[in-house]
Amino acid sequence: MHHPGLPKVLDGFDLEVEEGSRVGILGANGAGKTTLFYTLTGVYKPQEGEVLFRGQPIQYTADGLTEVRSKVSVVLQNPDEQMFCTLVEEDVAFSPLNIGMDRDEVEVRIDKALRDVRMSEYRKRPLQQLSGGQRKRVAIAGALAVDPEVMIMDEPTAGLDPQSSMEVMELAEKLHLRGVTVLISTHDIDLAYGWADRINVLRNGRKVYSGNSEDFYSDPENVHLCGLLPPSTFNMNREVSSMRGLSPAPYPHNSCEFLAKFGDKCNAGRIFCVPYKEGTGLSERHAEAAREAGPEAKIGVYGPDSRNALNGERIDFYFNGIDSCFSEAVLGRDSVLIYDEIFDTTVREQAEALRTLGADVRLEAVR
Amino acid sequence: MSDPVLQTQNVKFKYERNTPDVLDDVTMSIERNVKTAILGANGAGKSTLFSILNALRKPDSGEVLYNGSPLSYRKKNINRMRSEVSILFQNPNDMLFRPIVEQDVAYGPENMKLPKDEVQKRVDDALFAVGMSEFRKSPTMKLSYGQRKRITLAGVLAMKPKVLIMDEPTAGLDPQMACEVMEIAEQLYRSGVTVIMSSHDTDLTYSWADEIHVMRHGKCVYSGPAEPFYSDKVEVYLSGLMPPMAFVMNEGLSSCGTVEREPFPRTQCQMSAKIGNSKASAGTLHIIPVEDGSDINALIDDNGFGDMTTGIYGMSARRAQDSSKARIDFVYNGPENCTLKCLSGSDAVLFCDPVMVESARASADYINKGGFADISLDIRN
Repeated sequence: MHHPGLPKVLDGFDLEVEEGSRVGILGANGAGKTTLFYTLTGVYKPQEGEVLFRGQPIQYTADGLTEVRSKVSVVLQNPDEQMFCTLVEEDVAFSPLNIGMDRDEVEVRIDKALRDVRMSEYRKRPLQQLSGGQRKRVAIAGALAVDPEVMIMDEPTAGLDPQSSMEVMELAEKLHLRGVTVLISTHDIDLAYGWADRINVLRNGRKVYSGNSEDFYSDPENVHLCGLLPPSTFNMNREVSSMRGLSPAPYPHNSCEFLAKFGDKCNAGRIFCVPYKEGTGLSERHAEAAREAGPEAKIGVYGPDSRNALNGERIDFYFNGIDSCFSEAVLGRDSVLIYDEIFDTTVREQAEALRTLGADVRLEAVR
Repeated sequence: MSDPVLQTQNVKFKYERNTPDVLDDVTMSIERNVKTAILGANGAGKSTLFSILNALRKPDSGEVLYNGSPLSYRKKNINRMRSEVSILFQNPNDMLFRPIVEQDVAYGPENMKLPKDEVQKRVDDALFAVGMSEFRKSPTMKLSYGQRKRITLAGVLAMKPKVLIMDEPTAGLDPQMACEVMEIAEQLYRSGVTVIMSSHDTDLTYSWADEIHVMRHGKCVYSGPAEPFYSDKVEVYLSGLMPPMAFVMNEGLSSCGTVEREPFPRTQCQMSAKIGNSKASAGTLHIIPVEDGSDINALIDDNGFGDMTTGIYGMSARRAQDSSKARIDFVYNGPENCTLKCLSGSDAVLFCDPVMVESARASADYINKGGFADISLDIRN
């Protein structure tokens, strides 16, 4: 891929993305990440080479591109580059209408997508009146409304405040659990380290690494040449492990895993799990779980549906509830974790990861 | 003793009639030469506050004081104030005025009516500082977002402000460039500039700022050191923020007695030292002040540093490394990485600007004072 007379932006570029995986795309400013995303969605046609979607080359015809775009959504870094309409709801409807979805279905999609990004009350508002962070969420809603099978997000958390960033990552995790393939480019290496199954690193238009994060960050020379730095969890693990005479593996990826590896070993606490299903009552189960866990137990939340369903109940961790409650457990304390039921897998995987680090956290179901 | 450089007193501001106040009775005092971070959710009023502090906008009511005197908003006074108080906007496209890089960087100094060769020198220095010397003849429109962000930073550096306001200076920058920007901010602070910064990266502001001001719905709801604020979970939640990772982990480990709560670790290596509980003896951190023309290779050879881990920190150190083509292990985050090396028992040498020595040794001092390790410091003059 290149512009005539300019150096190639993408050069001899091979990339394979596994169906259903969480893929991080990393690289310095100007490495070619955004161009890659445009190429993957058929916005740019490569001068040489091919882009295949599920084994078939993309057809650069109106029908071919509609086919790709009904399955592959992209959220650009700067939301203004993908907003074409005056009102929020029109903008969210743009892509679904564009791929020929009928009007009734589009209405349902707008509702759902705006709720997912907590922008329902802005539905009739002009885009011009929204802040940058709010426009970003509308752009994400527009991509969600297509109900994509592949979601590509270019710097989804840039410019967002910490809580909004957490919400975006919850959404990405939710899509992953629904079977959507999620690609995220980001300069936030700590975020990518905690989230991605696999990273692809770009440098000067070439892919220079594809694989797990640890192998890449273990090669400081290469990390340096790519304009990156190692994540702080990775760095601290390496140093503290070496000071304590431990092997760097297993690698902790978040606070609770770090605490499990390096905190004083104690009997892990219990987590009273409240998976929440939309439309069911939450108050009673919150009260029941809080009673079972005792007055000292902290209460955490994960997921937009649960958070929306709360109605003044006591909560200690409104965001990052999974990591926070597991940290409590690792430190020997009981807690209550309320989460959208789709995150059941995430909770179980977290318990499993902690077991390999020596912390046996018990999950208690609350009836 | 309190020595405020910029203050707001009961400032109110709204963009249009019949809309809510964007700044609602903001009283805030920014102390001279204190590293200050302004935190808050999207839409809390941070950027509007900055435009008020820089006199780009006039409050509807209330006062802004610069060096203790209320702003008069007369053109002459405003111009004088703006030659001392610079602002770096979040979006570089809002502040590029001229088509070619070197012309754009020269804009501020030329407006200050500086002699031509002084303007030239400032443009050179500023472009080097942001790593964009080779782009001086490029059209700004052909640069990437990150590159444009560097050019706008060069533009404010060239004005040599006494107060620098940076709105999300690292947003959209790759990790290495973000690190360089923080190094520049530290160097300005050490050179006597008051640096005020907003950022959504709470880990970054936690490791850098001495004082935070938290904005929420147009009000300033907290001013002071970071720890008391982050200890109050409800306030943090209501402000749209998250506590920094180092703070969270320290709270966790201290709550079950693994470590004492204080001193609070704010950086990776402070955290590592505190929980590493190393039995091995720590190495020596050699800190060698260097100037623009210093020959780093010769310094390494003459002092027998050949086998040691090396790092650089600061503008002159970067120039010296550039001219002597020395091979350096840590070009970014030099002090942190070299201190980490010492923790694991090796020796390290850090070449840094004379004004940066205090910053360079800060983590080692924290570690030694806390009794977490005993890093020998060898500081040459």
